[in-house]
Amino acid sequence: MERREFCRLVLGCAVVGCAGGLAGCARLLEWSAQDTGTGRTVTMGGSQDVTVTAEASEAPTPFDASKPPDLAVFRGEDPAQNTRAAVLALGGMERFVKPGARVVIKPNIITGREPELATTTNPQAVAAVVSMAYEAGASEVIVFDRPTGDPYTAYTVSGIQDAVEKAGGAMKVLTDRNFERIEIPDARSLPSWPMVTDVFEADTFVDMPIAKNHGMAILTMAMKNLMGILGGERGKMHQEFYHKIVDVATVVKPHLVILDAYRIMVRNGPTGGSLKDVETPKTVVAGTNMASVDAYGTTLFGMQPTDLDYLRNAAERGVGVIDLTALNIHEGSA
Amino acid sequence: MPRPPRHGLHRFRRWFQVVFLILFIGLLAFTVWPLGSVYLGAFLIGDPLVALNSAVNGVIKPAMWLALVMMAAPLVLGRAFCGYVCPMGAVVEWTSPARRKHGLTDAGRERWRRVPVFVLLLSAGMLLFASGAYLVFDPLATLTRSATVLLFPFVDRMTRLIGDVLYLVPALRGAVDAVTTALAGRIIYAAPRVYGLAVAVLGMLLAILGLNLVERRFWCRYLCPLGALLGAVGRFGFRNRTVDVDACISCGACDRVCPMDAVRDGFHATDTSRCQLCLECADVCPTDAIAIGMRPAKSAYRPSRRAFVGVAGLGLLAGFFTFTGLSRRTPDRFLVRPPGARVEGELLALCTRCGQCMKVCPTNVLQPSFSKAGMEGFFTPEMDYRVGNCDWACAECGKVCPTGAIQRLELEEKRKTAIGRAYIDTTRCIPWADLGQCLVCQELCPVVDKAIVFTEDDVVTPAGEAIVVKRPHVVPDRCIGCGVCEFHCPVPRESAIRVRGRTS
Repeated sequence: MERREFCRLVLGCAVVGCAGGLAGCARLLEWSAQDTGTGRTVTMGGSQDVTVTAEASEAPTPFDASKPPDLAVFRGEDPAQNTRAAVLALGGMERFVKPGARVVIKPNIITGREPELATTTNPQAVAAVVSMAYEAGASEVIVFDRPTGDPYTAYTVSGIQDAVEKAGGAMKVLTDRNFERIEIPDARSLPSWPMVTDVFEADTFVDMPIAKNHGMAILTMAMKNLMGILGGERGKMHQEFYHKIVDVATVVKPHLVILDAYRIMVRNGPTGGSLKDVETPKTVVAGTNMASVDAYGTTLFGMQPTDLDYLRNAAERGVGVIDLTALNIHEGSA
Repeated sequence: MPRPPRHGLHRFRRWFQVVFLILFIGLLAFTVWPLGSVYLGAFLIGDPLVALNSAVNGVIKPAMWLALVMMAAPLVLGRAFCGYVCPMGAVVEWTSPARRKHGLTDAGRERWRRVPVFVLLLSAGMLLFASGAYLVFDPLATLTRSATVLLFPFVDRMTRLIGDVLYLVPALRGAVDAVTTALAGRIIYAAPRVYGLAVAVLGMLLAILGLNLVERRFWCRYLCPLGALLGAVGRFGFRNRTVDVDACISCGACDRVCPMDAVRDGFHATDTSRCQLCLECADVCPTDAIAIGMRPAKSAYRPSRRAFVGVAGLGLLAGFFTFTGLSRRTPDRFLVRPPGARVEGELLALCTRCGQCMKVCPTNVLQPSFSKAGMEGFFTPEMDYRVGNCDWACAECGKVCPTGAIQRLELEEKRKTAIGRAYIDTTRCIPWADLGQCLVCQELCPVVDKAIVFTEDDVVTPAGEAIVVKRPHVVPDRCIGCGVCEFHCPVPRESAIRVRGRTS
């Protein structure tokens, strides 16, 4: 009996100790509580160095790695092939992914809808990028978004989870601990905001939106897709959105931007829900600058880059070139 | 004389309890989106009290054959359900102090023995008046509710916290993320699970377990309505505990160990309305006088006619009380029931208050109702759009409901079922009141063709500047009341767009 009582005492103390320790850790950690106070400053290289100006624009020589085009636009029946061709035209995945690199891909998985409804990025295209990254020697490919609803249903219904896992990549469901407040030094309207730390820690960050209509922003493409790396109450982003999204783009500079326009949503965006809202340009636009990719994306909807106030802002603030005549665009079909 | 070794199935009673408890919690753990074909609510659909309530209210499901078997079992097995199957019974038993003495006086025990009959009569009174409020005391519903509201959110928090701690080690981050993703939507959710009324649920659970301090398995013996129902059948049992009167030395050992207080009349008779055939009495009997056999000597409390009429009258009064509108008042305007829910009166009659719908809901929008449906609607499911919204890709609540209080809807059907309608508060909505840019509600409205549209209005700001503002409008015919708009509205505290229940 004595020994049993001793064991009980030890066990009890251990349980209480563990609970106390965990509770203490909970207090100390409070990942989500970092929504207040000053945040971390980050630098992100991106591939901005190849953003060329008007005088550099010459006849495209797509496979010359020393002078890749600004934008590669490919059309064809297979979304995966289009994507491969476009990335190849930019100089191949090896340009963006070094052996051993950690690659993060951010598709648009706003909510759980079937791929045919063009609400979420084409799963085959995402899987193609995952495969290309591994072929280029990536050690790890992680895919995530912060859906507006339940992430598990969104990842599943969009078909992206299945496609990514088949290609060997890993989906990631974000929780509070994945966010950290990031300072935006050149902000006009958004001095800091919690963002997914993986984006800054990755060796290669791929922004992989789908082109869609959007009530407030008119169109959502690469820049607006960054909403999915933001934590906190994102609804507030909509006030002065044309400043805030450019603020985010001053610190988040994807190394590779791939706009999926195999199917696009032309009205009732960005959630749609009906096939009659969907058109199929069967196109992929790839580049290294979000604003430039978005600028080309507007033409798929019969619009001008200057029709979007956030793109005008982005150009004014030097985030990217939106004048399509000043960009070196390589078009082809896969 | 050495004790002969125990034999018979009752030796494994503890294992029965463990297995059924694991099965119960396990089935509940798998009650998550997307549901497979396995029927996870097996325990509740096999619950005779719930099935009886459903049947009286006109809902018969094929799977209720199980309840019928359970209902008839006491004729030959006594209340073996309580001792071998019921997971609540197991929890109550394991938390009973191992005291082998009665806490109540003999007179007290006599008085308490009458209670199950009255519990049953009160329940019947509520049942006749189409109020399911008494089902809040059903043991299986109680345990389901407790696990949903207390256990699983706790596991969610703990898993999250352990992940947070391990995340401090950079080398472990990949593994933590992988596990988190694998458990997402099953154990861990994007935001930690929260349920209202957790304190009330905990209080009820603690009260049930705390009564053990008065008397072992106090709840099971005297208060459990399911036990009372099975006991009512058990009264007519023809196979139960038997005593060899010639061998019995009247030592009283059986009476002292009986967990259900079923030994009667100088230890020779059995109260078949409570014996659970655990045979703990047989195991301690020094003369091996106790066995299971046909035609047992029975002794159960028979209420006097006066008490019977009195309590039956009280039961009718209680039912009438809920019926007259003293508590069944006009539902709150913001009370929104889940898609597939029957009309309010039928829902209140059928709902078991078990909370399985809240367990399966992937967005946590389904919350227990406190007072919006009146006190009678306590713990019935309602939509709380500040916690979540009805997911476009989910229609699982109707599938898990054991009584059809929430009817099963196919996904396409659910997407067209209007449970409420959103109204914009133009005095607080950002584009309306502050002339600012927003349209989050319009953006996220999942309805085909959008139930929220916008106009581009020319307005003049107070500063005299002429601007164009995009302002949202609800299209009444399209709105289904899913609450995506209300959940995501960035106006702090109370949304500037709120869903009100449809009157059906």
